[in-house]
Amino acid sequence: MDNGLIQITDLVKDYGEGEARTRVLKGINLDFECGEFTALIGASGSGKSTLLNLIGALDRATAGKVVIDGTDLSDLNDDELALFRNRTLGFIFQFHFLLPQFTVLENVLIPYLIYAGQVTPAMEKRAMELLDRVGLSHRRDNRANAISGGEQQRVAVARALINQPRIILADEPTGNLDTANTENVFNLLREMNGQYCTSMIMVTHDRELAQRGDRVVEISDGLVISDVLKDSSSEG
Amino acid sequence: MKRRVFFEMSLARRFLAENRAQSFLIIMGIAIGVAVMVFLSALIDGLQADLIQKTVGRSPHIVISNAENAAADAASDVNGNRTLLLDATQKTLRPIVDWRNVATALRADERIETVLPVVDGSGLIRRGQVSRAILLRGFDLEQANRIYDINNSIIAGNRSAPDGAVLIGKSLAEDLGIGAGDPIQLELPGRDPLIIMVDGVFDLGVAAINQRWLVMDQRRVAALLGTGDRISTFELQVYSVLDAELLAREWAARLPDLKVESWQESNASLLSALSSQSSSSYTIQFFVLLAVTLGVASVLAISAVQKSKEIGILKAIGIRTSSVSRVFMFQGLVLGSLGTLVGIGLGLAMSQAFVVFAQQSYNLLLKPVTTAVIITTTILAATLSAYLPARKVSRINPIEVIRNG
Repeated sequence: MDNGLIQITDLVKDYGEGEARTRVLKGINLDFECGEFTALIGASGSGKSTLLNLIGALDRATAGKVVIDGTDLSDLNDDELALFRNRTLGFIFQFHFLLPQFTVLENVLIPYLIYAGQVTPAMEKRAMELLDRVGLSHRRDNRANAISGGEQQRVAVARALINQPRIILADEPTGNLDTANTENVFNLLREMNGQYCTSMIMVTHDRELAQRGDRVVEISDGLVISDVLKDSSSEG
Repeated sequence: MKRRVFFEMSLARRFLAENRAQSFLIIMGIAIGVAVMVFLSALIDGLQADLIQKTVGRSPHIVISNAENAAADAASDVNGNRTLLLDATQKTLRPIVDWRNVATALRADERIETVLPVVDGSGLIRRGQVSRAILLRGFDLEQANRIYDINNSIIAGNRSAPDGAVLIGKSLAEDLGIGAGDPIQLELPGRDPLIIMVDGVFDLGVAAINQRWLVMDQRRVAALLGTGDRISTFELQVYSVLDAELLAREWAARLPDLKVESWQESNASLLSALSSQSSSSYTIQFFVLLAVTLGVASVLAISAVQKSKEIGILKAIGIRTSSVSRVFMFQGLVLGSLGTLVGIGLGLAMSQAFVVFAQQSYNLLLKPVTTAVIITTTILAATLSAYLPARKVSRINPIEVIRNG
């Protein structure tokens, strides 16, 4: 498994206590490789978001293991998990979740600021490049809540990339957008995936969109029921 | 130090700036609390300084007398609320024989400003049909001025009373209907009556003194009483009034045969009143501080709820729990500092207004130490009051926020 970036082994996740206890993930085994664009599909309540949260080091597994880039997430304490999320992962959420107290440019820089405290000229340049890349450099000094929903999601994409993460996790990134903006953001993600060689795992229930990734993993009732790797787009 | 702090401070600032009205209101709340504390402290400290000054300003801080006499005197005293100078007028004390050596030792003590040896005796003065009991006080007038400021209190006769001048209290002079230059008849126990001339009348502003004192030179009184080279008491003025009790205890140990009494001991009930006054002032200040603390805590608790989405997202992208706590502690610190700053100004303004409009006989006194204590405790309390909201908000689970939008 030379190329293995993420190894998921017998992953189980329960929610609740006692009789209310429900098993949401029932033993997932998956590997993800560098630079892959994976779509994670499944019905509501299938466990796909739970899986994404576990890969995203936002939650702890009940049993089984998630190993990312050689690091077993269960070995890390809360602060180490926070640092891991900050350095290794980029997040794009369904609701754009920019900080309205900051400008567009500052929002892009926040993952770096959390880690380093202050912005260097080099990082500001990088943030501007990313904003340029998502077509929003003219919005740099706008308040984050003063731009449209589609624009906010594109800022979120730039933010996810600022720390050059190995993996980007996107939970319904286009779920709140109209068709034109969905297309726009998806194309952007796909481009970033190619350009920065970042692995992308995207949860979606849009099957059509999912088909445009390298690989489609379908989850149902806490288990992987299909895992299709498409030959056509594997060569880039 | 971790440079993360810069981002934490910037977050705190943005959060506070976002809710301008809320921040402004709590800053004003803290400011009013601090202003009350400043004003109250200045008022109480000023009043107490004035009371102490009135009590000890024109009276000895420490009186040294013969132990046996003093013991008898103390036993006979029941009201317990006398001043030292009244005490000294009660009776003729047994003399201190070795007074010159004691005086030399006392004068060598740098903490003591004035050492006044006094020869006391009691008697009667008579003019026509009227007679009055008096306390004959013999001391060096120049030295005594440092304690009683007699020269500036003379209301009839020569202001710069010469050595050996005979001076009597204002009420005494009025009762007997005499003024400067009039003769009076002095009767001392076991002595023949004699006529002396009054050189001046003084008003020391204390009824007991004005009614009873007849002041002469120490040697002349000693000669009249036939006590030889002895004195009745030492009256001392010290530089640091509040340290008089400590000094008295020290000298009591050095002079085991003598009774050394400080103004504090003879004014126990005044001091206990002052101390209860201070306690009630501290109690009020404590509750003001508590109100400030609760105010800051509740504002930050509300802010924590308002910002839970932002905190959730920051946690998802890797901010540490401890960083989130610090963001809220910083908010408490900023609110506390700004509120204190405004409050000190407001308190000074209130004090100034009080001086101008209330026109009390005493001045307000704001001690630097008190101000420092108010500043420190308020800022500390405001910062610590952020602790509970900070702890709560730092535990926000990012998944909840992501899931629910």
